Amino acid sequence: MAPATQFEVAQPPNDAISAVVFAPDAPRRLLVSSWDKNLYLYEVAEGGEEASLVKTYEHRAPVLDVCFGANQDEAFTAGMDRQVKRIDLATGEQTVLSKHSEPVRCVVYSAQHSLLISASWDSTLHIHNTSAPALPILTIPLPGKPHALAASPSKLVVAMTARLVHIYDLPTLSTALATQPPTPPQPWQQRESSLKFLTRAVSCMPSDAGYATSSIEGRVAVEWFEDSAASQARKYAFKCHRQAAPEDEGGGDVVYPVNALAFHPVYGTFASGGGDGTVALWDAEAKRRMRQYQRFPESVAALAFSGDGKYLAVGVCPGFETGMEDYTGEGRTKVFIRELGETEAKGKGSK
Amino acid sequence: MGKKKRGHPDVEDLLGRPWCYYCERDFEDLKLLISHQKAKHFKCDRCGKRLNTAGGLSVHMNQVHKENLTSVENALPNRQGLDIEIFGMEGVPEEIIQQHNQRIIQNFYTAQAERQAATGNPPRGLSGDQGPTKKIKYESPEELKKRLAEHRARVKAGGGIPAPAAAPVDGLSPAQGNPPFPPPQQAFPYPPPGVPAYPPAATGTYPPSVSPPPGGSFPPLPARPTVGGPTQPPGGAPPYFYNGAAATADELVANAARQGGGGGGGGGVRGDDIDQLIRMAEAGIKPARTGEEAREGGVQAEKKKKGSRMVYADTEVSPEERMAGLARYRWVGEGVVA
Repeated sequence: MAPATQFEVAQPPNDAISAVVFAPDAPRRLLVSSWDKNLYLYEVAEGGEEASLVKTYEHRAPVLDVCFGANQDEAFTAGMDRQVKRIDLATGEQTVLSKHSEPVRCVVYSAQHSLLISASWDSTLHIHNTSAPALPILTIPLPGKPHALAASPSKLVVAMTARLVHIYDLPTLSTALATQPPTPPQPWQQRESSLKFLTRAVSCMPSDAGYATSSIEGRVAVEWFEDSAASQARKYAFKCHRQAAPEDEGGGDVVYPVNALAFHPVYGTFASGGGDGTVALWDAEAKRRMRQYQRFPESVAALAFSGDGKYLAVGVCPGFETGMEDYTGEGRTKVFIRELGETEAKGKGSK
Repeated sequence: MGKKKRGHPDVEDLLGRPWCYYCERDFEDLKLLISHQKAKHFKCDRCGKRLNTAGGLSVHMNQVHKENLTSVENALPNRQGLDIEIFGMEGVPEEIIQQHNQRIIQNFYTAQAERQAATGNPPRGLSGDQGPTKKIKYESPEELKKRLAEHRARVKAGGGIPAPAAAPVDGLSPAQGNPPFPPPQQAFPYPPPGVPAYPPAATGTYPPSVSPPPGGSFPPLPARPTVGGPTQPPGGAPPYFYNGAAATADELVANAARQGGGGGGGGGVRGDDIDQLIRMAEAGIKPARTGEEAREGGVQAEKKKKGSRMVYADTEVSPEERMAGLARYRWVGEGVVA
């Protein structure tokens, strides 16, 4: 078996991490967005066990999310300054694509449909067609504040407050955007989250079959898109990222939020990262935990697999806990990259 | 409440599980045990071939690799020998089976006692409130001091260390559940001399078979601080321990009398009149019990709440929104968006 190694990225962000993402077609290129108002571009060295900082892109306000665009030199960011920006990673040129009336929480890019979707706390989605920038932006009102956004090849999953989950059909969005004047389409499906608490993260299966959500209450749910009874009966949820509290504190469990989810692009297994500083690999089909990695020094804030599934990037920084008046991720924020063994993330398949 | 049934198996189930002579692990069924043995104990470390028995492996090593097998791999120190031919559960010496069963029973009762102590639930098969009441964990410094003083006085006076408080009070006596297998006595002759085996699983965690006291007379109880309430006045009525459903007619009478007696004479009122007794039983005991249950329910709900603590518990506002509100990250640049 190929060795599994893990190393720390040099020159990590100076404050909390909001997202990590690998370029889909360049598995060594990593973007990290941070609350320190910068976007960081790293490159994992060929064959080596290190990753170095290539460039930083300064923003006006904390960067809340980042995603790659059509190629490895294009990226989009979601900003606390309410702007959705396109970043040319080669030149550093920044273009404002749209403005929300509240901070922008998430951005997601669908390469299949050349669509950029941004979700903001002003309870709207903005849909941009990046291949036809002249087209006006389509604004879709949402019934709640969005907290997580993810796209599969044909679907878009939006998780909001009050356990609302809307699933949009990307081709429908694409056609709605092209019609004049653009009319916001109805969601393809409206669901209530299987998790009782606030949704923390959403990630879609690369197979386009379903998605996983996680909540602040140490739980992950796996659901399928197909609306048949048989398919819906397959959905399940499980507890994770919990720790037994010491007896003298009354026992019971300390329940951590599950901050990050990421599906492996090749094997369809997925990783979850929690406030307890651990990352676990799960086999969604077999409903089994395959691995749990050694605890990281701080809460896991973000996770990403590289496009070829060879690397797993883990962004860690102090977790925000209830009642915190003051927060800083300064000096305690790190990015780890794990080079996975050949079969490390491969599930055994369902029994 | 549609509470899930906990997966705590019976002793019979546990004893019925096939187990491995070499490592004492137990399995769901014989097939699994056999494949375990082939993989863990009868696998050739040269070529990975899995044999059926230790003897088979020995012959294989001899013939194929020209080596001599001296011991069984991954086995407990005293079980490495090649002299015993084991296949699944076949060939295990009778005394080893006895030892294993002893261990299983002991572990079962230890685990059960621990569970009961931890959850405050009654043993299985017993209804509602008969079981032990929840162990009270909290003692204020004053209470602790008082207890220490009492203890000192006792030691001074009696010269003896009082019996451990836990056993009779918590009602953990396994005799209550009428288990089919008597729990082993404290010191049982296992492990055999010279055999380094399992640590005797937490000796003495359950009481050495306490028989229920006949006719409601309670065993001498060490002073246990009553939390938040006044201490029992000495003398007069026996200390009132609500023990749920009365076990004997005598107790029922006594209970009824206590209930009916109100603040007055306590033990003095002995109901001779059956009608009165019935009335009391209806009017007095039942409400008392439901009250008790309600109180216990409250305590448990409280405990459940305490049971798990969420690191981030806001179900409406995300951590990011909270962070966005901090001065450090707040965006003020544009004010109102144009």
